[in-house]
Amino acid sequence: MIPTQLRQELEQRVAKAITPREAAVDVMKGLQRHYGWLTDEAVADAALLLGLSPLQVEELATFYEMIYRRPVGRVVVHVCDSISCWAMGGETLLRHLEQRLGIAAGATTADNAVTLLPCCCLGNCGNGPALMIGDRLFGPVSPEQAAAIIAGHRESR
Amino acid sequence: MIKLIIDNIPVEVPEGTTVLEAAQSVDIPIPHFCWHPALGKAGACRVCAVKMLDGPVKGVQMSCMLPAQDGMVVSTTDDEAMAMRKSVIEWLMINHPHDCPVCDEGGECQLQDFTIAGGHGIRRYDGKKRTYNNQYLGEFIEHEMNRCIQCYRCSRFYQEYAGGADFGAMGRAAIVYFGRQDDGPLQSPFSGNLVDICPTGVFTDKTARFRARYWDYDMAPSVCPHCSLGCNTVPMARYRELLKTTARRNDHVNGWFICDKGRFSNAGVNTPERPRQALVDGKPVSLDEALDALATLLGEFLELHGPDSLAIVGSTRMDLAGNIMAARLREMLGAGTLCLFNDTDRAELTGKAVSLLTTENSASQEDVRSADLVVLVGCDLLDEAPMMALAVRQAWRSGARVYAIAPHPALLPEGEGTQPPLSPGERVAEGRVRGPLPFKFEYIASLADVPLAETKRPVIICGTSRQGLEALKNIQSAFALPFTKGGSGGISSSIETANPPQSPFDKGGLQPEPKLAFILDGPNAFGCAELARQHHGVALSAALADGRIKGIISFEADLHHELPQGIAVLAAADWRPTGLVARAGVVLPTTAWVEQEGIYINNEGRAQRFKKVMNPGLPIKGLTPELHPPRVHGIDAPGGDVAPSARLIALLMQRLGEAVVDEPLSGPWKALKDLDATGAGVIINQREQA
Repeated sequence: MIPTQLRQELEQRVAKAITPREAAVDVMKGLQRHYGWLTDEAVADAALLLGLSPLQVEELATFYEMIYRRPVGRVVVHVCDSISCWAMGGETLLRHLEQRLGIAAGATTADNAVTLLPCCCLGNCGNGPALMIGDRLFGPVSPEQAAAIIAGHRESR
Repeated sequence: MIKLIIDNIPVEVPEGTTVLEAAQSVDIPIPHFCWHPALGKAGACRVCAVKMLDGPVKGVQMSCMLPAQDGMVVSTTDDEAMAMRKSVIEWLMINHPHDCPVCDEGGECQLQDFTIAGGHGIRRYDGKKRTYNNQYLGEFIEHEMNRCIQCYRCSRFYQEYAGGADFGAMGRAAIVYFGRQDDGPLQSPFSGNLVDICPTGVFTDKTARFRARYWDYDMAPSVCPHCSLGCNTVPMARYRELLKTTARRNDHVNGWFICDKGRFSNAGVNTPERPRQALVDGKPVSLDEALDALATLLGEFLELHGPDSLAIVGSTRMDLAGNIMAARLREMLGAGTLCLFNDTDRAELTGKAVSLLTTENSASQEDVRSADLVVLVGCDLLDEAPMMALAVRQAWRSGARVYAIAPHPALLPEGEGTQPPLSPGERVAEGRVRGPLPFKFEYIASLADVPLAETKRPVIICGTSRQGLEALKNIQSAFALPFTKGGSGGISSSIETANPPQSPFDKGGLQPEPKLAFILDGPNAFGCAELARQHHGVALSAALADGRIKGIISFEADLHHELPQGIAVLAAADWRPTGLVARAGVVLPTTAWVEQEGIYINNEGRAQRFKKVMNPGLPIKGLTPELHPPRVHGIDAPGGDVAPSARLIALLMQRLGEAVVDEPLSGPWKALKDLDATGAGVIINQREQA
């Protein structure tokens, strides 16, 4: 069950949209903020709110890489693995962070603090290699800078 | 018109045609996966590449995405385009398993064809292939996702064309998955079409899994007998077993698709319960002996009770020739009663519906698909004629408004999405729970409330229920259709009157007259109504109520009510194990529709021929070694001593003394003699028949 206030907020968002589907991303993001990730329950909630079938929500949820259909850590680090960042050392950056955090790309640290996700693309090609945490873009970042940025986020949470 | 040149051939096509379609119009094939005539383009597969040599666009282009324009010079054989197509196919094949030998699609696989045609023969990629877990999609469709080439045809058909919401495309990039959220039967009543439209073997017919290859099948153009719409099919059989049914394109009728009821109702043809042995008083005899016995029995019966006491019962599920011969048999016997319908309501309503239809106002499924306004009156489309619901959806998708006439406010379900006669949760064929109609509609009180003023192509779809009958009267008053002499049981003959009532649509020609579509009861209901009119048929219930009937001979008839015990069933001819067959003195096993040639006249009055698909006989599968191979010499297969009803009646008439028995398609039906099974069919015009 989601809190009444959140439900009302999301219902208002859907009501404002010309077609309910248009509000799908906002609804999914709202639910993700509440649950921490888009749980199966959240998919069902979203379907009810949007007047879509759960499958239709699932189609959208699995399309967007910043909608998480599995549990994630408190900090989610998206490291760009697209071509521009790759050319600027994105691969090295990702390997370095894997080592530093002691996890493989796609995994979450044991203390549930950091999830490391490769992604494509952050639209920050001019500043490769790039990474993103929450709504903040960083780049170009060296492996050391990246580690420091992540450490900063880890503490603030 | 747009003029362009494709492979040195000048082509002229209407505006909006794609280069791919333009090439097809002059029989130049261009490989394609994502493009489908009924679904349009998606630009997902990249395999239809052509080279534009001159004109407004240059270079290698996707022919399915490119509208034909004046001055284009297109080459499908250019080296660059060929190289591109070859590379694309190689790339599509990278993850495709090498399981063609155990894949049901093998031999009828577009991916196989285009891989060979594209010149990709040797695999260079030796890396790991992407793999998926398959889902259980119900008892009818097998899922094998590893074969997928991401053309999106399935999800586009399922959600956009058919309005299903429980199946779609999930994921992105290299991990796109086509399936349901969880395992479970597909909910759409049109899900079987996934088998037809998938260009490879992701979706195959589970009911015929591992049974035969494409080249093994007995196949012929046929017509679906499971409702009155007459959708075109290709049934596929092997070893005297009807294995599966696929859709056959007919742009006027079903387009490219059929419903699951039509696709998966094959078991009745193969069932061991089916009558295959002629019986006289329960004793097995040959078909000839049974006919001899029936001729004798009939002679005695007529002598004892007189000709008035005999009813000859035809059926709306029997083909036209059988019903014509039933009518001729009655004529020959001098009296008796011809019953092609069970009850008076049905006979009356079907007769009225048929009398209202003319060549001009009869709506085909294509007319429904292109309508800009649809009114539903007293029909339950998903139960009675599922493909009509799909046709209405296409109209609705193009912007048509859909209205349903509500019978009475008290009968309306709460909220929207279902229509009056439809109770949610009701089971329908194939064990599915009937879902909502695949389009949105509004309830209105009467036809007078329909905003016809701005419509150009309105269609009214009407059921043959009591509600429909009431609404027909409303149609009469609302539109002043030529529907004045609706008599009891008989057929309205007003259509033949010299001065039909003035229609409001004639005045000034502002509004088009709405086209009409009736949902009838049975694949040949229209033909039976027409025969009943020509031969003064009486509904069986009315004939029995009369009290004179002492015995009946039935041909492929289903009775809704138990026949009174006092009525003797002299003979029953059928391929289905009906109650009448169980009671009959003489049992005459007949061929099923796939085992004979015949004609059904569908709900719009379109006569369509179906060809013989397979030889009759017990399916080899299931025969014990004692029965197969047969130990007795003979021409027929075991269980193959059966004949079409029309043939049985002709043989009976010979035995009763008719010197020359005319073939069924003579007299008023002569025009149908040369009907082509692969054409569009012929609309029967009652005025010409009269």
